Amino acid sequence: MAQKKTFICIGCPLGCRVTLTIDGKGAVAGFAGNKCKEGEKYVLEEYTNPVRTLTATVLTEGSSQPLLAVRTSRPIVKTKLAEGMAVLAKVRARPPLKIGDVVVPNLLDTGADIVASGNLSS
Amino acid sequence: MKLHDVDVAVIGAGPAGMAAAIRAREAGAEKVVLMERAEELGGLLHQCVHNGFGLLYFNEDLTGPEYGHRFIEKALDTGVTPLLETMVVRLGEDRQIGAVNTKEGFITFRPKSIVLAMGCRERSRGALNIPGTRPAGVLTAGTAQRYVNVEGFVPGKKVVILGSGDIGMIMARRLTLEGARVEAVVEILPYIGGLIRNEVQCLHDFDIPLFLNHTVTQIHGEERVEAVTVAQVNGNRQPVAGTQRTIACDTLLLSVGLIPENELSIMAGVRLDPVTGGARVDETRQTNIPGVFAGGNVLHVHDLVDNVSWESEMAGESAARFALEGKQKESGKIVVRAGRNIRYVVPQTISGRRDTTLYMRVNEPEETVRIKVGDIMTKGVRAVKPSEMLKIELSAEKLGKLREGTKEITVDCEKRGGK
Ligand code: SF4
Repeated sequence: MAQKKTFICIGCPLGCRVTLTIDGKGAVAGFAGNKCKEGEKYVLEEYTNPVRTLTATVLTEGSSQPLLAVRTSRPIVKTKLAEGMAVLAKVRARPPLKIGDVVVPNLLDTGADIVASGNLSS
Repeated sequence: MKLHDVDVAVIGAGPAGMAAAIRAREAGAEKVVLMERAEELGGLLHQCVHNGFGLLYFNEDLTGPEYGHRFIEKALDTGVTPLLETMVVRLGEDRQIGAVNTKEGFITFRPKSIVLAMGCRERSRGALNIPGTRPAGVLTAGTAQRYVNVEGFVPGKKVVILGSGDIGMIMARRLTLEGARVEAVVEILPYIGGLIRNEVQCLHDFDIPLFLNHTVTQIHGEERVEAVTVAQVNGNRQPVAGTQRTIACDTLLLSVGLIPENELSIMAGVRLDPVTGGARVDETRQTNIPGVFAGGNVLHVHDLVDNVSWESEMAGESAARFALEGKQKESGKIVVRAGRNIRYVVPQTISGRRDTTLYMRVNEPEETVRIKVGDIMTKGVRAVKPSEMLKIELSAEKLGKLREGTKEITVDCEKRGGK
């Protein structure tokens, strides 16, 4: 059975609702609703491998600043965001840390590190 | 520090002020002070821990603190003098600044030029007149952002967000990731108030319901918010009888617009534009007061920080030039009018002699349009939305086509095709 999935393209302010048709074997069979080619590229990526940068904060220890802003060094699969937050809930960042310093290496085997996105001094 | 030696004073050290101060130094101003009431440079960027900053300016996807730190470092490298924990309380028509801090008490000085970079603040419940009780748990999205990202506590467990501005949508995601449940985002207009990428990545990704053409008509609860009543609205934005429903929640976040912070500007006699809420400026970002410039959200509310930085660099460069030369060479004489489906255009006046970028917003969303600047230029645009600022670049050469003595030029957003 063919299946349909709808996406909103974020390529430009038009925000086309793009319907993707997937055939019985799970292969992409067509796009509808996108007003330009960009939409196909975007939807294909969102369908096959949707990734997001996880940004959050972690608690600190030994600093007057209660929190440190952190991010993944590159986007990770969207389905691991909640799991990533569970890891971060247990992390305590200790000063000194600079922007880009690794706080958690290889988060959930995604290949992305959690890095400081702010500086932390004592 | 000898304050009377100041060439350029920049008021506010958020993204606008930092960019203006850096550029003023680069353009040759000797002593540039960057005045900030908080303890550090960077303004609200510190609490915007999400990414999406710098995509245009740096061609990189940075978080707010990362974007901010690049400018903080550059400000220090270029020899900008920060004046922290210093609050400007007076601004005179003669460019005299009165400020207070805990070290020197009250200080006054008269820089050769000034850049206004005070940013904006959020509209609060008082501006909305929502009926109901006055319980705890009603706060602006930006305040919630500070609680969650800087101070370290989540303000509620079941949240309704009124307004679909960018900060509201970003907080919907942030609160969800921190374990709260966002019951709904409620928007009175038929379209979202923020960027599409935020609708997709903050709401759809987390299955957060979005109610367009709806508003909050009542807040319930004595000590703490217990619920809100939400209703559909008609074309006049009035609630439709019979559509009310009650959503149980302990927190109501407001993301219902930003207001440029211009109390100091008004004190100094700066003329404001009633539509933008910011100063009326020419293409150098000079206000009606010679030597007083403005840039960033104090001038008009931007959706991308990248544009705040660019615009404020213009203001900083102009301020440096004014400080060095003691006057502005030529200021805007041609009035730029907002025509069909254009809400406002900044700058409001232009000289017609330099390369000029027009920043503008539309009133209503429209597809397949062209932006027409008088009869000197048109640019096709696929879609326009009130929430997405448009930029039109006009070269000095194009502007040279204006007839001698032109007093006014109108910008229209016209429908294309379908002839
Ligand atoms: S498909 Fe093309 S026109 Fe439609 S939103 Fe994406 S980029 Fe814009």
